[in-house]
Amino acid sequence: MNGFEWMSPGSLEQAARAASATVATAMACRSGTPASDAAVLKAGGMDLLDLMKEGLLSPRRLINLRTLPGLDRIEPAGGGLRIGPNVTLAQLAADERLRTRWSALADSAGGAASPQIRQIATLAGNLLQRPRCWYFRSRAHHCVRKGGETCFAFAGENQYHAIFEHNGCAIVHPSTCATALVALGARLEITDRAGAKRTVSLEEFFLLPQADLQRENRLESGEIVTAIELPAQPASVRSVHLRYAQTESFDRPLAEVAVVLDLAEAVCRKAAIVLGACAPVPHRARAAEAALTGQRIDEALARAAAHAALQDAMPLSGNAYKVPIFTAVVRRAILAALVA
Amino acid sequence: MLEKTPSDRPDAAQRPEADTVGPHAVPLTLRVNGMTHTLSITPETTLAQALREQLDLTGTKIACDRGACSACTVWLDGAPVCSCMVLALEVGAREVTTIEGLTDREALHPVQAAFIEHDAIQCGFCTPGLIMSCVALLKRTPHPSEHEIRAAISGHLCRCGTYPHVLSAVLAAARTEEA
Amino acid sequence: MPEDLRTRSYPVGIAGVALEQLERNVADDEAPPLPPNARLSVIGQSTARLNGPAKVTGRATFTVDVKLPGMLHARMLRSVYPHARILSIDTGAAERQPGVRAIHVIEHPLGRAQELPGPGEPGDAHRRVRYVGDPIAALAAVTPKAAQAALERIVVDYQPLPFVIDLEDARRSDAPRVFDRPVRTEFFLGPAPQLPQHGNVHGPDTSASRGDAAAGLRAAELIVTGEFRTQVQTHCCLEPHALVADWRPEGLTVYISTQFTAGIREELAEAFGLPLNRVRVVVDAVGGGFGSKSRIGNYVLAAVELSRKAGAPVRLALDRHEEQIDSGNRPSTVQRIRLGARRDGTLTAVAIEAYGTAGVALGASVGNFAQSIYECAAFALEQSDVFTHAGPGCAMRAPGNVPGAFAYEQVIDELAERVGLDPLTLRERIDASPLRREQRRIGAERFGWSRRQPPGSSPGTLKRGLGMAQSHWPALIQINSSCEVRILRDGSVEVRSSVQDIGTGITTVLAQVVAEELGLSPQDIAVHIGDTDFPAGPPSYGSRTTASITPPARNAAYRALRLLMEVVAPSLGTTAERLIARGGRIGTLDASRSITFREAAAQLRNDQISAVASRSDDYGGFGRRMGDAAVGRMGLGGVQFAEVTVDTETGRVHVERVVAVHDCGRPMNPRQIESQVHGGILQGISYALFEERILDRHTGHMLNPNLEQYKILGARETPAIEVHVLENYQGNSATDAYGIAEPSIIATAPALANALYNAIGVRLRALPMTPAAVLTALGRVPCGSVPP
Repeated sequence: MNGFEWMSPGSLEQAARAASATVATAMACRSGTPASDAAVLKAGGMDLLDLMKEGLLSPRRLINLRTLPGLDRIEPAGGGLRIGPNVTLAQLAADERLRTRWSALADSAGGAASPQIRQIATLAGNLLQRPRCWYFRSRAHHCVRKGGETCFAFAGENQYHAIFEHNGCAIVHPSTCATALVALGARLEITDRAGAKRTVSLEEFFLLPQADLQRENRLESGEIVTAIELPAQPASVRSVHLRYAQTESFDRPLAEVAVVLDLAEAVCRKAAIVLGACAPVPHRARAAEAALTGQRIDEALARAAAHAALQDAMPLSGNAYKVPIFTAVVRRAILAALVA
Repeated sequence: MLEKTPSDRPDAAQRPEADTVGPHAVPLTLRVNGMTHTLSITPETTLAQALREQLDLTGTKIACDRGACSACTVWLDGAPVCSCMVLALEVGAREVTTIEGLTDREALHPVQAAFIEHDAIQCGFCTPGLIMSCVALLKRTPHPSEHEIRAAISGHLCRCGTYPHVLSAVLAAARTEEA
Repeated sequence: MPEDLRTRSYPVGIAGVALEQLERNVADDEAPPLPPNARLSVIGQSTARLNGPAKVTGRATFTVDVKLPGMLHARMLRSVYPHARILSIDTGAAERQPGVRAIHVIEHPLGRAQELPGPGEPGDAHRRVRYVGDPIAALAAVTPKAAQAALERIVVDYQPLPFVIDLEDARRSDAPRVFDRPVRTEFFLGPAPQLPQHGNVHGPDTSASRGDAAAGLRAAELIVTGEFRTQVQTHCCLEPHALVADWRPEGLTVYISTQFTAGIREELAEAFGLPLNRVRVVVDAVGGGFGSKSRIGNYVLAAVELSRKAGAPVRLALDRHEEQIDSGNRPSTVQRIRLGARRDGTLTAVAIEAYGTAGVALGASVGNFAQSIYECAAFALEQSDVFTHAGPGCAMRAPGNVPGAFAYEQVIDELAERVGLDPLTLRERIDASPLRREQRRIGAERFGWSRRQPPGSSPGTLKRGLGMAQSHWPALIQINSSCEVRILRDGSVEVRSSVQDIGTGITTVLAQVVAEELGLSPQDIAVHIGDTDFPAGPPSYGSRTTASITPPARNAAYRALRLLMEVVAPSLGTTAERLIARGGRIGTLDASRSITFREAAAQLRNDQISAVASRSDDYGGFGRRMGDAAVGRMGLGGVQFAEVTVDTETGRVHVERVVAVHDCGRPMNPRQIESQVHGGILQGISYALFEERILDRHTGHMLNPNLEQYKILGARETPAIEVHVLENYQGNSATDAYGIAEPSIIATAPALANALYNAIGVRLRALPMTPAAVLTALGRVPCGSVPP
């Protein structure tokens, strides 16, 4: 890890003004050697330190957001919840409100990484972490997402890569909480250098490779995610997050699915189904949602919806096996939501 | 300026002016195992490195250095964390507990005694970290199920395969505590 | 009978099944026969690990914890190309970096096959690197950070060369060559003739063949065939390979995480032209080895060179990435097996064609599993090493036999099905081992084998399957194994040997052996090991430690005690032969007179009495003997039963339960044995289901060189495990004890594979058995992919 300056800002504004780059812009380069003059923001730092230890990121200065007050609370807001960016995954997993009303988020946070990491990792950090693609994480591969010319996954080892929307880059989005939050209709509050706030739906926040190959989201330099807003959930809404990995102890998922159903008895008034670990962004399975909406959900309908969710899958040379896995996990998640 | 080390205390964080230190070595105060230490570290020093290299608390092991094996588990204010993924500078006023600080001097914690009794040890490199997680588990869940123990140690990698004996040791220690 | 031999009667057989007495002629100074464990007070008890308190409190000193005054920190520069000629190396800028104390350029790297000098062939003027991670240079600086910074200033001018990563590609005659000239043939056991080499293919080695396999296949009433593939696995010791080298004018001291202190000393002495008495190798706790810490490597030589140049101690510890790419691995294999059999299941011939790659090293063999385990007069084995531009393989827990058993035990199950026999019944017919017969009986009963249903008959989505497989491993002995026992005048006792405790618990076992002999308790014995200043002990590999060092430990204790008894006999009014040590006392056989052990020791004229003993030959002789090592006449066995569930929609295999029945001669410490068997099974499951080194076909870089993407079993993948260990006596040595590390991993992967077949009715013949592999086998993976 390179040496750096450590800045403890007195305020959000000060932090935002000091930031000269996002992690994505600090990493992107033509040469393969990341810039050494960037000042970047750090919260939990799980991903940031990993990138720095691998020599993929060499910032001049880290700006510590972790000790800024008021960013680590979960507060009621207009029937929904306002979650501070520094709330840890451990806090989310243990929060009773989440566990009863927004259980998909609590489940996703509780299943991520390890207990030790969940203790440190923040929700905003989880949403903003860079992809785990092994070419992206390799110093020997100057891939397109780091400013190079090639996505090595297409002709290479792609068993853990995307089966949807891999236009020019086959990463899967690394955030497990994002899968749940997109399904729950979450919005982000983003504060810029001037202190101006905007909100954006999380779904629109993430970027596909065709929109931008070098970053996964719309966060601009000097902007800080200052809240994650969960909309109110009627009592009739059920949500689940299912995670499927090769090992259950400590492993990135091969497939994950968040399902949010608004139910009248078993009839689905509204459905949101989001697939994770399958595309460069959390992947909204609209065909599956449409298949459920207005229908009485049973095993057969769940199966049909699951097939609909995968109908557009475009597996790569080594990851077609993910299609049957997702088909099963989507169906199971729908049925689990029914009884959640 | 240097005494304004980062801290999780709100009063400390509300100072209007930013502190900037580094990249050269900076003085730092750490509270470890009930003692306050003043050391000099560069900002990229992880807590694991500071404990091992500066304070000679080598019971905390570094095996993957990426948070993937949990060998470096210590407590921050009682909660198990990977000390390889925490910068020493950001510990602030939080209390660090390492395997050396689990008990006073010679006495063994019931979990440590149970690890010996049940032979939940082979090479021993992952053992201090595992014990930190298991003791923390018993503090918040005095009578864990086997499922809960597995969850608590799910981030730990033991290449020798002590897991079955770790499970029996923790279950036994929980019974001892009860008695 | 020679005068120094004496006829003695030893218990032989399986305790609780059939024990008889066998007369053996053994040397007069050997400790007398030990009765079965039931009649002993310390041996055979689950004595708590003596180094347990140090390990649970973090006080145990691992090599990475060693800190010497003035110690420098070294880092290694490694090739980023899988194959390249090094045109030049410029270390000038690095030398000028602040804090740099020494630089060493590696010219003749170890840890790979060594080319024979070629007559008339032009030698390469430039060194070639042959895999990503191949070490080029090393430097030492005052801090790790300074070393890393300086390392990045070394300028290497590479001329990249064509390379080959894929095993099948490497076999083609037009594949880029890893070595231009033939390499020296190396064998695990003993000398062997030089094997042929064509392109990257070294072999075949046919030396294990016997009888006429072609005729046996012709005579067969049915033939079962199968092709099996196993992957490259990495050791993943949690403590990295590490050492602190301290070169001084008066001699070299090396603190190193190793499985063989005495071997490291010998290799260092040879490499640096030092006499053995100027080299000292020291280790306390070792954080895992599994075969990979057996010998010196380039990192060791580099650290010693740097210490010599800098005149200061040098610490070198590999990081996790280096561990994954350059600390050894279990080679891959491809095995084509043809079994000829009669309708009753007996074998007429076994023919195996095998090849695999240990990268730039040799050693991708399938071991001695198939050639040893079942009766068959005709056996043909052709095995070849295929060189690839990949990191060198080395021994890993039961090398050869782990992949060998994965293939062979599945073919045997296929044969059982073809001839309509239960897998256990077939093995009754073809397995002559009385041990495994008993192990199958016990295991089947405890496991509930009778619950097993026909293959593929499990209903529903989550299918359940039961399977079993067997283990075989040779009983290896290091003859060159010595141990000293000292009784001190205050009544305390020391055991001294260079043998090391890598977590298997030999420290505790040595204390048990000596305590038993001296009538003391293990806590009374101080065990000083892991230091070549003590008599040279055996390595901790090959499951040979216990079998090699416990007999000399007991004999040394016995002889030291005789000396003590001679001193105290007059005060007890008798002769030494009429004294016995038990319960902390030394007294007459009839217990009429006795003194405490401490009182006895107080009568010593000097501060201590001491005896050194070395490993005697097995009383019944060895099967084979090669240099310092020997193979016992009987192998070590074991049978494992596994119950798995398979989610046929997601392909995930979950191991619910394993019942393992093993033997290791006289069990010394049942709980420690159980720990090791757990380790074998869990590593076996991890190998079977999760682990795989993944190399990028386009660059030769390992893509999962960490502990996140390289998947390893954790607590949630750990099944319920039941271990049963037979007490098996052979009257071979003063302790009759053997190891368990390797036998315990061999049967696991095939037992899972057989259980998986039983669950889904489709056989998986390649490792690891991932969700992708299971779904593909079930025909559930859609065809078609998107072109780049």
